[in-house]
Amino acid sequence: MEFYTSYKDPRPVRCSEATRLFAYESLNHKYGLDTKKVENALLDHIEGISDMELFDQYDIAIEEIVKQAPIRICEGEKISGAATLGHAIRHLVPATIKTISLCSSVSHLTIDFESVLKNGVGVIREQILASMKKHTDPDRLRFLKSALHCMDCFTFWHGRYLDALKDRPGYEVNYENLKQVPFGTPRNFHEAVQSLWFVFAFVRLTGSWPGFGRIDYLLGDYLKKDLENGTLTMDEAREILAHFFIKGCEWIAGGNYTSGDAQHYQNIVLAGIDEDGNEVTNEVTYLVLDIIEEFGISDFPVTIRISDRTDPHLLRRAAEVIRHGGGVIALYNEDLVLRALTDYGYPLREARKFANDGCWEVQIPGKTQFTYVPFDALWVLQTRTLAQYDGSEHFDSFDALYARYRDELEKHVEWIYEDRRDSFVERDATTGEWKWKPVFPGTIVSLFEQGCIEKGQAYFEGGPVYNVCSPHIGGLPDAANSLYAIKKLVFDDKLVSFDELMTILANDWEGHEDLRRYAEEHYNYYGNDNDEVDLIAARILGDFADCCKALDGRCPIMFPSGVSTFGRQLDWVPFRFATPFGKKKGAVLAGNLSPTPGTDKEGATAIIKSYCKADLSRHATGAALDIRLLPGDVKDEEGIAALVGLMRGFIALGGFFMQIDVADAKVLLDAQEHPENYQTLSVRVSGWNARFVTMNRQWQDMIIQEMKRS
Amino acid sequence: MTARITDIQRFCMHDGPGIRTTVFFSGCPLRCKWCHNPETQKAGAQMYYNQSKCIGCGGCTVTCPNGAHVFSDGHLYDRARCTACGACAAACPSGAVSSVSREMEISDIVAEIKKDVAFYGDGGGMTLSGGEPMAQPEASIALLGASKDAGLSTALETCGYFPAQYVKELAAVTDLFLWDFKDSDDARHRENTGVSNAPILENLRAADKTGVPIVLRCILLKGINFNEAHLREIRALRDSLAHCIRVDLLPYHPMGDSKNTLLGQENGFHDKKYIVTPEEIQSAYAFINQ
Repeated sequence: MEFYTSYKDPRPVRCSEATRLFAYESLNHKYGLDTKKVENALLDHIEGISDMELFDQYDIAIEEIVKQAPIRICEGEKISGAATLGHAIRHLVPATIKTISLCSSVSHLTIDFESVLKNGVGVIREQILASMKKHTDPDRLRFLKSALHCMDCFTFWHGRYLDALKDRPGYEVNYENLKQVPFGTPRNFHEAVQSLWFVFAFVRLTGSWPGFGRIDYLLGDYLKKDLENGTLTMDEAREILAHFFIKGCEWIAGGNYTSGDAQHYQNIVLAGIDEDGNEVTNEVTYLVLDIIEEFGISDFPVTIRISDRTDPHLLRRAAEVIRHGGGVIALYNEDLVLRALTDYGYPLREARKFANDGCWEVQIPGKTQFTYVPFDALWVLQTRTLAQYDGSEHFDSFDALYARYRDELEKHVEWIYEDRRDSFVERDATTGEWKWKPVFPGTIVSLFEQGCIEKGQAYFEGGPVYNVCSPHIGGLPDAANSLYAIKKLVFDDKLVSFDELMTILANDWEGHEDLRRYAEEHYNYYGNDNDEVDLIAARILGDFADCCKALDGRCPIMFPSGVSTFGRQLDWVPFRFATPFGKKKGAVLAGNLSPTPGTDKEGATAIIKSYCKADLSRHATGAALDIRLLPGDVKDEEGIAALVGLMRGFIALGGFFMQIDVADAKVLLDAQEHPENYQTLSVRVSGWNARFVTMNRQWQDMIIQEMKRS
Repeated sequence: MTARITDIQRFCMHDGPGIRTTVFFSGCPLRCKWCHNPETQKAGAQMYYNQSKCIGCGGCTVTCPNGAHVFSDGHLYDRARCTACGACAAACPSGAVSSVSREMEISDIVAEIKKDVAFYGDGGGMTLSGGEPMAQPEASIALLGASKDAGLSTALETCGYFPAQYVKELAAVTDLFLWDFKDSDDARHRENTGVSNAPILENLRAADKTGVPIVLRCILLKGINFNEAHLREIRALRDSLAHCIRVDLLPYHPMGDSKNTLLGQENGFHDKKYIVTPEEIQSAYAFINQ
């Protein structure tokens, strides 16, 4: 019973045999395959269902889901509740009419788990009733009625689990816990974990994918109290928390998906300061690391908030876990993120609560509606500025070229803004006030987002306190490298004229291999700590932030910028052409703010330096960097020191978000040929991890390419 | 002052504690048969030629003053005619032919090292290696001194074969010695490295008296020095030194061989038969720590 590691030493053993078996079976598809047995709740028997409005169909769907979903109780589980309908794994509300899925579900949010624990879930019903008394608008009342109905459905589903557990030998504790939570407040650590899990499972049952947020902040005090009272040992706590993580593997089903089978955006955030400025790190923080280290469960990717105040022991533990690979641990530079959020306009106490949305984008949890719009900075250059090299565009200087590029960037960002604004809100013809348009139903998540019940507005209709749409610039290193190469080849070194270069690129470098190789070999591109190109990248990012800021505040949608690709560099291949820095059409280029593959020659410290030259605090959603290391780089004490050194530099230089993966390209190549030997090998893709053997060939090749050293 | 270097590598973690930038000086008085940095042995200019990178543009044939590059059914590079002037490297678009080493100002080297200062923390810093750095003694001491003046921690990787007069000056600017101990049997040492181990041991003892910490680095080759007698000598040497903080047992690897190809030279030595396995290394550690 082995848990895969990229490291030379095996993973430690701390949990019981029974728990280890539970983990092993879960990671090897046992419950994922079970979940696929029943894909949806069927609605066909409901009279007149096809003629109803979507919002009414949704309410019925939730009811049928809680009635029809199989109950699953795993052998020996310490935490109960399971999201057992297979189509939820596909980001759909798992309900069908005549085999057609009803609608999509919601992700990229972290719901208000803090209130779940502090107040219990039972009070939500009272809050809905109180709100109903305050509102007269029929749309508000319709939403609140749906909310009440969904709470009743939750109660019903909870009742089914109580019935299943009652009098079942070996599950007495589970039963007693669920009698108290989640409707009441937890009285101890076990109940707190159960409460969190049960709400999480319910939301997932209905198809939506919430992130977890700050699990040590949420659970730390409960554990402390139990340990002080002597009612729980650390080992017992570890078993309970391990079961929480193992239950989170219930959707792992193997199979073949484009970008891999994992993650349903269940990101967890550890450490950092609370709203009062006090460090959160507690026993739960270290237990989480213990569990991830032992089992390599990558389905709850972990991001740690670090600063120059972070306890060196925590950095060391993070390094020890990172060594095993799977890309499970990522890092936020806490002080920079706080600055980004407060500069953006969040009050400091709010900013300090930051987590992410289940993927990696920064948000204030429990009160934020989030969507994002990715776009390709290289497309803006190649298609919008240089007309796909057709010769119709000519520039006499680098400054003229850059000025035009900036204009095109600004135009595109404006287009994104207007398009998103118009899809969410419009001005009332009479009053001139902003009104929210109905999107698709999201009542379930609305129950657990601050603002929705009070305002009587759903998650996508202005309910949450913050409503964010973030444009994300991708392909930034490629755009910067392209501009730099043109500057050098044409304007500085005068090796070729602008028009000649356009023709050469239009012909995909055909017949000009010497110039192509020259462009590749003789300039140091982004990721090699070369100011000349790095400052071009920084300039584009600064201008992009300016464009977003100019538009922000005009409507109820907040418009903070972000920087990422998250695998989209693969999707963009057909729309991109040869680059001035020597790539031909069809090449897979940069991911996030990592260097274009094949152009980095100086190692991880130079990459981080290039990345940090921009003022990343201007992008409140975040700016992501991927570092990939070989197992040999992180061996023994030297390896720990190297990882901790990278973390320190990342903080000191002003990074935002960094994910470190450890893998050997040779091992990945072998996994392509012999997937049966590598079922649980996880790699960091972006804000998420995936099991390598479940990705399609294109994605696998892209990861391998990124792993290879120049 | 300048130094002749082959490379400056960032993000090294096996050349001393923490994250380090390692500077490789060119030239070495030894000729160890197993050398995995063969390009650093010769002090003067040399050229790498990587045939797989050649795109057949012919630029080198035009710029070479000695006719060392010709095109005749493919690109032929005649090293006998080559003076390593570097004209071809300047003309080569693809980096197929390139200079092995270059002269660099000490101050410029320090500027390069300072680029990663944010990552060094308490443990990391610069390591001077090679070749044998002390084959350029003034430059070595100048670089180490300038690094210390810049607030950097310094480590020196040396085979220990250099004039004894430099030990004291070196110790004043070095925070850590990474000192090679290749063989205890002097006859075997001469045969395989070209020099006696006596001056090396003398310098080592003198260095030990200065109080600077020392890590002994001992290459082990099966069939040559991987035996109990030599391991006993390693143990005895370690115990006799006051400031030896650690012994690193380094198993031979044939990795330098690809570099020989790039240098256009053959090395008849490299062979799997000398390889010591990880398990054998573990036993060796256990032996010397008894």
